[in-house]
Amino acid sequence: MPEKIHESVSVDLVSEDHNGRIYPRFIKWHNRLYRITQVGLHHWLRKGRTLIHIFSVTDGNLFFRLAFDTDTLRWTLEEIEEK
Amino acid sequence: MPNHNPSFNSYEKISFNPEPPTILHLDLNSCFATVEQQANPLLRGKPIAVAAYTTPNGCVLAPSIEAKRLGVTVGMRVREARLFCPTLIVLPPDPWKYRFVNRKLLAILREYTADVKVKSIDEMVLNFTHAPTLPKGMKTIAAEIKRRIREEIGEWITVSVGIATNQFLAKTAAGIHKPDGLDVIDGTNFAPLFKSLPVEKLCGIKLNNMARLNRVGVFTAWNFYQAPLPTLTSAFQSICGYYWYLRMHGYEIDDVTFGRKSFGNSYALPKFTEDRTTLSRLMLKLVQKTGRRLREAGYGAYGVHVTCTFADYSTWHHGHRFKSSMYASEDIYKRAIGILFSSPLRKPVRILAVSCFNLEKRALSQLTLLTDEEKKRSRVAALDTINNRYGEFTVMPARLVGMQNTIIDRIAFGGVKELEELLYREPLDVADVGS
Repeated sequence: MPEKIHESVSVDLVSEDHNGRIYPRFIKWHNRLYRITQVGLHHWLRKGRTLIHIFSVTDGNLFFRLAFDTDTLRWTLEEIEEK
Repeated sequence: MPNHNPSFNSYEKISFNPEPPTILHLDLNSCFATVEQQANPLLRGKPIAVAAYTTPNGCVLAPSIEAKRLGVTVGMRVREARLFCPTLIVLPPDPWKYRFVNRKLLAILREYTADVKVKSIDEMVLNFTHAPTLPKGMKTIAAEIKRRIREEIGEWITVSVGIATNQFLAKTAAGIHKPDGLDVIDGTNFAPLFKSLPVEKLCGIKLNNMARLNRVGVFTAWNFYQAPLPTLTSAFQSICGYYWYLRMHGYEIDDVTFGRKSFGNSYALPKFTEDRTTLSRLMLKLVQKTGRRLREAGYGAYGVHVTCTFADYSTWHHGHRFKSSMYASEDIYKRAIGILFSSPLRKPVRILAVSCFNLEKRALSQLTLLTDEEKKRSRVAALDTINNRYGEFTVMPARLVGMQNTIIDRIAFGGVKELEELLYREPLDVADVGS
């Protein structure tokens, strides 16, 4: 079962013009750097009028559910799960 | 009645529809579980299940393909599922993820034909009869759709596709090979398939219909196909016999679109209760959700219907049509609570449901001479605007404080009109950044 976190994190986001791909490359959380190896799903939803982008990603050992609030331009680590 | 059905004397035996198949039924395999495995690669290949609630009494909504192989089925309780599979990973549903995948899938399918029907969160039917893509060939189109789903939505997502001359047989074909199947039923191959299929395996034939058919000597799909029309009319004692006769011969009888007739919400209580205070708070929240959806779609309703399923599985329900149309949740609640407490039964409630029927399109611009009505309209519109801007239940009745985790967002079973309405309200390409 995923563990709820809901903490602010730093995310390094890559935007590739040639193929239109956008994905997180690194997450910095509690002073540790996690390199993302796979994006499972990128979806979005609205909370009221605010558009929230959700990236479900993994570094191979941990699963991360990241939320990007397009109003505040902040990243939140919503959940993690260990392999 | 569809006008391409053959006219015939009821005592003539018609043959299987000779037209080439142009109906495609698409079914996302183990939808919720597959989407969760797509999102979290660490879950792939493992037995997982999405359950309404992750507690032992929670109902399994979607076991993964791996879990199904171990005997876990839809409708089981979590504790029963764990008996089949002690290592089962149980997840709560994430409706917005599934809606997103549904909309992405719909966007792909609409590139092939304009005639796409959303049957449920995981089933769609495409009609290629007049589609410009038809010359490509149905199987080629189906294979292309499967490839694009893997490339554009997610590599773990598989669909089973059925192709036939009508919706019923296309759905039957989609069920032949799961997961990731692609099967055709047409005039050249239906016989061996029908001979191997027990009649109760057909969609729409459950215990009662099976008994009706068995009584007239129909035990397999082949018997069903061979049965003369008078036999089927006698078995079903209604025009349904004629509809089944046409279905089994590959003619379309189900191409009917039903308009929106009601809006409703229901809730399965985790703790059964007959306490009026608890039930009235639950009813209040259900009505708030129903009222929002009713107004969002631009309707008012003359009728309110309440259903209670009790702990002993008995049911009580009552509906009433009122003189004036309602749109404000407070008015719907007053009517609904009156109906609920008019029930003569005093038993613990297991499931509570409310719905609004006899819908009327609201003319919001229509002026009113009644000051109170004008004030109510303004108040309701203002509250809806706030909730639209900041999120559902930002402003709510005080009695709902503390109920954030009660009656939470869920995907309804079966046909979901909101899915199509959602697509038109919020096109995917608004922020289509890919992944």
